[in-house]
Formats: sequence, C-alpha cells, structure tokens
Amino acid sequence: MKKILFFISLIISLTTVSQNNENIFGSFESNSQLLQDDSTLNFTSPDDNFRANSYFQLNYNIGNVSTGIQYESYLPSAMLGYYPQYNGGNGIASYFMNIKQNKTDITLGYFYGQFGNGLIFRSWENRQLGINNAIKGVKFKYKFSESFNLTTIYGQQRNGFELNESTIQGVDSNLNLNKFLNFEKTDLTIGASYVGRYQNNSTNDLIPANVKSIGARVNLYSGRFSLNLEGIIKDSDVIANEGIILSDKLYDGTALQLDLGYSKKGLGLNTTFRRLENFNFYSDRLAEGNIYNQQTISYTPALTKQQDYLLTNIYVYSAQPRLVINALENRSGEVGSQTDFYYTFKKDSFFGKYKSKIAVNFSYWAAIESNFNQDQSYDVEFIGDGNRYYRDFNFELKNRWNNKFNTTITMLDVIIDKGVALGGPLGVQGDIKAKVGVIEGTYRYENGKSSRAVIQHLWTKDDKKNWAGLVYEYNFSTSLNVFIADGWNYGGTDKIHYYNIGGSYSKDNIRLSLNYGRQRGGLICVGGVCRYVPENTGLNLNLNVVF
Amino acid sequence: MKKLITIISLIFSITANSQSTLPNISLNSLDGKEINVQEISSNDKIAVISLWATWCVPCIKELDAISEYYEEWKDEVDFELFAISTDDSRTIKRVNAMVNGKGWEYTILLDSNNKLQRALGASTIPLTLIVKNNKIVYRHSGYSAGVEFELFDKIKELK
Repeated sequence: MKKILFFISLIISLTTVSQNNENIFGSFESNSQLLQDDSTLNFTSPDDNFRANSYFQLNYNIGNVSTGIQYESYLPSAMLGYYPQYNGGNGIASYFMNIKQNKTDITLGYFYGQFGNGLIFRSWENRQLGINNAIKGVKFKYKFSESFNLTTIYGQQRNGFELNESTIQGVDSNLNLNKFLNFEKTDLTIGASYVGRYQNNSTNDLIPANVKSIGARVNLYSGRFSLNLEGIIKDSDVIANEGIILSDKLYDGTALQLDLGYSKKGLGLNTTFRRLENFNFYSDRLAEGNIYNQQTISYTPALTKQQDYLLTNIYVYSAQPRLVINALENRSGEVGSQTDFYYTFKKDSFFGKYKSKIAVNFSYWAAIESNFNQDQSYDVEFIGDGNRYYRDFNFELKNRWNNKFNTTITMLDVIIDKGVALGGPLGVQGDIKAKVGVIEGTYRYENGKSSRAVIQHLWTKDDKKNWAGLVYEYNFSTSLNVFIADGWNYGGTDKIHYYNIGGSYSKDNIRLSLNYGRQRGGLICVGGVCRYVPENTGLNLNLNVVF
Repeated sequence: MKKLITIISLIFSITANSQSTLPNISLNSLDGKEINVQEISSNDKIAVISLWATWCVPCIKELDAISEYYEEWKDEVDFELFAISTDDSRTIKRVNAMVNGKGWEYTILLDSNNKLQRALGASTIPLTLIVKNNKIVYRHSGYSAGVEFELFDKIKELK
C-alpha cells in the first residue's frame, strides 16, 4: 500500500512541476456482490458473503515514455466462480514502462500481446472472466521498414499474484509484400512466429523441458475479397489431466485456421474453418485444461456467434481443442466452421419502409474422427465424421418503423452435446436441441427518454425444458436507467424465476450499476472464452471511475 | 477503510488536475495502415470515437442509429467517426463483413488486444468519446435510444 501512495504522490509532484507533452490518467473499477441464502435455488450463501474484485490503474506518460501500474484487490474474498488463487489477495499486480523511439518499441515489466490470430500466443486481460495472463519480462518490437517488423518477447507469466516458474520466449515477424510485387489494390502480408516454453522437468528426462510451437500465416486483401490462413505445429509434450500427468507418452499438436471473406456495401459474407488437434499451450504443463482459463499461452476461443439475450445465452459452445485419453472418453480435438452473412435491404423493401438489416450465422463443430489404439496412440482423420459437439443456425432481422420505434427479431436453432453444455464426457450423453425466439422493441420519447422491452422464449424437450423471458428497461435520460428482468424456467421441475431488478448511471467519467436478483448458474462468456458461475442470489454493485 | 478513503480522495484530486487526452497508441485500419489516435483530431478536427465489438448488441445499435443520420450530420458539421473494434481473434474476421453488410461509412480501426480500451479504462463497451485537438471533451458509456442526438448536439457545440 505504501508503494502505491508513494507512486501516486510522485506522479502528482511530477505533474505539478512539469511542462506539456505529458499526461496522467487512470481508472478505478470495483465489482462487488453481497450474497444471501435462497432456499428456492438451494443456494447457501458462504460465510464471507461480501465479495469484491477491485482494480486501480494509473498511467503516466511523458514524451515517448509511458509507464503504468495496476493494483488489484480481491478482498475480503474474490467474487463467486473466480480463480481461487485470487481469493483474499491484494497488491500491485502489474507495472510497466514502454519507450517508443523511431523504429523501436520496447516494454519492460508486465506486457500483453498477440501473434497472428492468437492461436500461438496471446496474453491479455479480461476482468469479467478473471483472466490476466500478462508476461513479466521484456517485449521488443523493431520496425526494419514499413514492410517488415519483428517482435521478440521473453519473460515469465503471471499466475494470480505470483509468477509461473517457466520462462516463455517468442518471436513474431510480419512482412508486407505489396512493394515487392508492385501491388496497388491488393494487400499481401506473410508472417511467421515461434513461441517456446522452458520448464524444469526435475529428474524426469522423459518429460521435455523445452516445448516450442511454430507457425506461419498469410493475409490477403484484394478489393472485395479477403483470405487469411494460419497454421501452427507444436512439439510433443506430455498431457495432463486435472493437474496430473497420466503417462510419459508424448503427443504433438496442430492448429489450422482459414478465413474467407467477401463484402461490398450492403453485403458481407465471411466463413471460417478451424481444426485444432491436441492444441493447448500453457505456461505450466500441469495447468492443461484448467477450468479457470489460467496460465494459457495459446488462445483458442469458440468460433460461434456470441449472443447477448437472457435465453440465447443458456446453451453456449466452448472450444474443445484437447486430447483426452482415459477410461471415460477418447478425443483428439475439434474441427468445424462457421459462416456469417450480413445484408442491408434497400428502402421500401418487403421487410419495411426503412433499410432493414439481416444477419445470418451458421456454425458446426465436431470431434476430429480418430481411432484410439491399445498403446495409447491414435490414428486421426483430417476431418472425418466425429461426434457432433455443436450446431447453430441463427437469424436476426432489424427494422426501423418510424423515427421513434424500432424492432429486432432473433431466432436460434441450436443442437449442443450434453457433455459440452453440462459437463462430463463428450459425445456419449446425447444432445440438447433447443429453439429460441426473441422480439425486442425500442421506443424513443423526447429528451433522451426511452423504453426497451424484450420478450423471449426457449423451446426444448431436453435438460430443463422450456423457458420464457421478459426484460423491460426505462431510460429516464441518456445517463440513467432502470430495468426489470425475469427468466422463468416454467417447464422445469421447480419452475424457478430468475428475476433481476436494477439500474445504471453513466455520466462523464463515472459509471455505476446496481442490481439485485438471481444469477442462473452457467457460463459467462466474453469473446468465446467462458467462466462458470454457480447459481446464486444477491446484490451486485459495479463502479467504474476514469480520470 | 482509511486507505480506501485516501485512495478515493487522491483519485478525485487527480481528476481535478488531469488532462483528459488520448494516449499515444497506434492502431491498424482494416487495410493494415497504422494510425496514431493522437493524430485523428489534430488541427481542430472533431473526431468521434466509438469503442465497439461485433458481439456487443448495444454497440451495434448505437452505430446503426448514427449511420441513419451520418451523411446528413456531416454536411452540417465537419466531423469523422472512428469505430474502433475491440474484437479479438474470435470475431475480428467478422468486422469487415459486418461493417460492409450494414453499410456503415465510418473509419474502422482495430484494437484487437484491447490496448486502447485498457488505457481508456473502459470496463464496458460501448464507450463513445468526442475528441478535439486530442482533448476528450465528451465521454459516454452504454447506449440508450436517443444518445445519438445528445452526441450530435455536443458536436455542434464544438463547431
């Protein structure tokens, strides 16, 4: 604590004596909850029923030097469902100094970064998910020319408030070929990356101390067309399951992703194919497959459309890149694709007077077809006909009826493997088939006042059966709103209402939101990465101040 | 508790003194050109920054709402909207398709590892800023119907 106060006063004193070309900024965020017993949900509040995650970040820039420090506190306890390592902890979690000069860009301390699609390397922060896998060390970027740059990283990855013992090294390069090929309307870039992990194997020579992955990619943009291709191969390594290495047998891994796009004004089409075979890379070999998404080096999010409504969020897919060989299940990874289509109708179309907009998305993800042998090896197809994990077809239509009123209609047709949705072995428990319909209407009054209502329904004969949902939100002004929401599982045995009531205030540098109600147990997903939250009831307060 | 009060009072004292400017961060445009955010509002140009993502429903509502009037408003006041996508690799390939499919005329920049979002302390999106000569003169987070008109009123005040 003393350190922070010292740092802050230092900055303030610097600011007062300083000239121009410098600035100081930062933010304070606190997300807290007060839990209570709820016999309907069978939820017993833990003894430490007040929980808060808080972050205080301060940056100081002068000229081409920027510095920053982040203090985090999970006191008295971290919020429900967060990585237990954070629980009860507080302290300076990260700090950095960055210098940009001409062609060099160097960061000392904790840094974030990404190579290519992130398949080979991504270190990032997401507070809602409780992910911060920054690396402490040195990041050095050098721009040889407008066409060629190189980035190197070296350091240890953060794990809670500590560092993992392994060291991570990496190199990434990008070469733009337009100049060499005299392209004018086409943009062609190629890239290559390397990421390695050194982790002591104590005395077991059968476990590799050095594991590396290498990758290459091509990005092509030409008029209306785009093509991105990236492939990674990863060295052989042992596989761990819940922190235990089951055998000395080594398995290598691969990742391949292809994106194709076509778009012009009023129309966009994009399709992605991805195949992940035993493709997981962690800064600790024992962290493989941990449910908190901690200590990851590779980034392999689910490639499906992320939904935002109460009931469209119940059956969500998470990527299944792991190789698992055990008595319960055998699988080697996932393969599949998704396609997006966007279209804006002309005025006065069949769908309405104003320009109606549609978005259509289709995705299909399955196991890579594999045969597992007695000696724990396996034979694998490139795609084959493996167990289906997820299939989603969804459709969204947006209409404006007049100056005041607009609507959005969303339809979803989902099939998800029970193991993916609810846990347990994959591909053997059967499917959940669900359809969801959502109608949302927004009406605008004068002076920033508006009303928003959403009605929704989920149909399924599986799992917890049917749901109905309702949200109503009233905006007193553009700064202040209140809402009530209810997701009613009327088809389920307990017919539970997951009600919520709350509001938010946002003005200039402050955002405050408060809500009381029941949280449905399940996955909270941001950008295809999910965190499991148990069912609970209570009061939630989020405060964010920037300066 | 004392510590907390000290921190909070410090925050407010800093707030009073601080300059709200954009940090020195360069982002790529869709066609791979590097643009420094400190340069987008130089020489009295008015820039609107909207942090969004393809998966963020209120963000898209806001950008859809503004796009209905964008041409008209630009005729009245000279300004430019930079729609800065915070999409990560899961969804970034969808950005181009969505922007074109929706017929948005904005300048699109990519903040794919959330450098700018972090520096702006934006815990939630959408976040909308009006910037002139690199000074942040208006900040709003969240979207409710009609915010776009408040935004345009602020832009007109800066003319």
